[in-house]
Amino acid sequence: MTPRWRHFLAMALTASVLMQAPAWAQELAAGEVRDLHFGEALFHFYQDDHFTSLSRLLMAQEAGRITHHRDDAELLAGGLYLQFGMYDEAERAFRKLLDERSDPALHDRVWFQLGRAHYRQGKHEAALGALQRVDGRLAGYAAAELPLLKAQSNMALGRYTSAAALLENWQGPADWLPFMRYNLGVALIRSGDADAGIAQLEALGRTPARDEEDKALRDRANLALGYTWLQQSEPGRALEALQRVRLEGASANRALLGVGWARTAMDDHAGALVPWQTLWTRDRLDGAVQESLLAVPYALARLDADQQAVHAYERALAAFDDELRHLDDVMNAAKSGELVDALLLADDPERARWHWQLDELPVSSVSRYLHALIASHGFQQGLGHYRDLLALGRHLDEWHERLETFDHMVEAQMLAAQQRAPVIDARIEAIDVESLVARRDELAARLEDIARDRDVVGLGNDEELEFWKLLEELASGPALAAAPEQARERHRLLRGHLLWQMDRDYGYRLWQQQRALTELDGHLEEVAPRLQRVMEIRAARPQELEALAERIDALSPRIDVLRDQVALLRAEQAGVLTAMAMSWLEAQQQRLVAYQVQARFALATLYDRAATAARPAPVLEPGS
Amino acid sequence: MDMKRLLMAVLLAASLGAVPLAAEQSLDTRMQDLRQEILHLNRELFMLEEDLLFPANTQVAVFLSMDVGEFFALDSVELKLNDRVVKRYLYTPREVEALLRGGVQQLYLGNLRSGSHELVAVFTGKGPHDRDYRRATSLNFEKGIGAQFVELKISDRVSRQQPEFLVREWD
Repeated sequence: MTPRWRHFLAMALTASVLMQAPAWAQELAAGEVRDLHFGEALFHFYQDDHFTSLSRLLMAQEAGRITHHRDDAELLAGGLYLQFGMYDEAERAFRKLLDERSDPALHDRVWFQLGRAHYRQGKHEAALGALQRVDGRLAGYAAAELPLLKAQSNMALGRYTSAAALLENWQGPADWLPFMRYNLGVALIRSGDADAGIAQLEALGRTPARDEEDKALRDRANLALGYTWLQQSEPGRALEALQRVRLEGASANRALLGVGWARTAMDDHAGALVPWQTLWTRDRLDGAVQESLLAVPYALARLDADQQAVHAYERALAAFDDELRHLDDVMNAAKSGELVDALLLADDPERARWHWQLDELPVSSVSRYLHALIASHGFQQGLGHYRDLLALGRHLDEWHERLETFDHMVEAQMLAAQQRAPVIDARIEAIDVESLVARRDELAARLEDIARDRDVVGLGNDEELEFWKLLEELASGPALAAAPEQARERHRLLRGHLLWQMDRDYGYRLWQQQRALTELDGHLEEVAPRLQRVMEIRAARPQELEALAERIDALSPRIDVLRDQVALLRAEQAGVLTAMAMSWLEAQQQRLVAYQVQARFALATLYDRAATAARPAPVLEPGS
Repeated sequence: MDMKRLLMAVLLAASLGAVPLAAEQSLDTRMQDLRQEILHLNRELFMLEEDLLFPANTQVAVFLSMDVGEFFALDSVELKLNDRVVKRYLYTPREVEALLRGGVQQLYLGNLRSGSHELVAVFTGKGPHDRDYRRATSLNFEKGIGAQFVELKISDRVSRQQPEFLVREWD
């Protein structure tokens, strides 16, 4: 086996593939939401607006608006901290739940989240420690993800036998099966059980794929399988596996290269030329394509087509020169600080704000050279930080403006309150509750007298009283006494009728008056506290406005300080990303230079062979 | 085997795979601290905003939630308070998805004086058999001293194969 195979085999047998969907998100959706404000945090969370989700959640918690979902809220907060890379804060939120709650099922969920947090940080021992505390009470997606996480942690620690054991007993959703099977195949091969591992990869490599993700995974399985068969000196089987890899896709170039090596191992050098020459038309930055630039003349030389081999080496040298020139340009652009902005051009303005993963790489000369770096976790994380800092900066700018508006509002309200104060005071002053109460008491006493004496006249209506007064005045005056008998009789009848009428209505009128008095008492009872509240509001308003103004005054400089810090950190982050890119580009430069040396050496050998045609010339393997 | 070239290949592979992250890690810690500070600040700013613009004694918030959504695909909502339109909202597929997964949208936040009020919500979308569907629901409520929360809930009534539009007050 050539050393170069080992390099590509190592790349093909990547330690593990990660599941995309976090189980905790599905878990939170289960059951009815019984706190509106918790539901609101979920609403933003499900739209990937994690910052708003966390901000609203923290505010609702602070305001005591989450009562039914306290534990879920802590779990969500912890998960959101994780999304933000705030591992310490996430751990604090989870530890709090462990300390304060005794529910074993909740503990399982928390240990699971803590395990995920450690795993995301690359703390695999700690991750395993936490995940092993989970005691069988997880349900649904989390239960299925637990053994996968344990297995991935074990694989990261090089414990492939343990990982394989975990994966062999795995049970979970059918659409996760390809991920599991790939990881199991890799774990088994790495643990030394190549046959079992190959069986897993074979099964996956022949499974019909439903979507692009499955197809990519199937390609990876076939690629790993092909290189494993090459390692086992089984080029025929390697060929079979590698030919199942699609001609387009992330694994295609390495598969084509492997096909060439398999055919070489079968002494079919002409056959090897076909896939290798296909690679020539592809992106020259790809490691497999660069390798093919040396592999093609190697095969030609093995076919004794020296002249063509010389041309092919010269073509390879020209290609390397060309790429080195481009690389120089890109390095100069990266050094001048254009790199990060160029990468962010492809961001979706709607989602860029808190969107972390770069789903599709932007097409530019810079990104072309940095494709693999950009796709790497470290660079993605750094880019995520930078994008996040941009968004945080914009967010602070918005608050800065709003705070200015708030400041003006409070000022205007203070002025309005000052202007309205005398009017309000005068109106409060004019309200004399005591005199109202005195008037009520007077009426109540009068009603009591009427009831005690059964004073039917006392409850007469205005018309009756006027008539009664007239009759009484007539009775007390000299005129009636002097009047004829008929007139006096008429007066007596009228008085009697009026008295009868008032007596007839007395009971109803007394009940009416007593009911009115009760109603009045009710209203009077409300007046005092309402007035009290108005006076309190009146007294408190200036202080409230003052307090709001103080809060604004305190927040304003904090925003300014944080804006400066964001700007500073953003510049530093751009520097880090540029340094990562430069280091990456320099490595590519070194690799191209090394290939140049190899090509020149091989070319010199061919020239030498041509010059001394009589004696057989050595042929240099490109990967030896 | 040419050991020098093997070594070179291994070194190259190593240098391609590993990028030094030492400087980034300390930056990472500072990022964590900064995010934490901004989150705290944000919480305080939201609270200030609410205290200033929507004080508890006049605050009214209307929320919208959905359950299964089999019989109704939400397009928009119009909200009226005391016969005045206070909100018209057109939903994106992403928002509808978030609602179906259990999210609750704060549709409206405003102020009302204490006393009796009428809320009317008109929902527009696609009903059973993909037909255009428009339904209204209303609530008469008494606004007290504290903040008032109202939930509009779109639910599937399986027995009638129809959507159901509910409105309820929260304590």
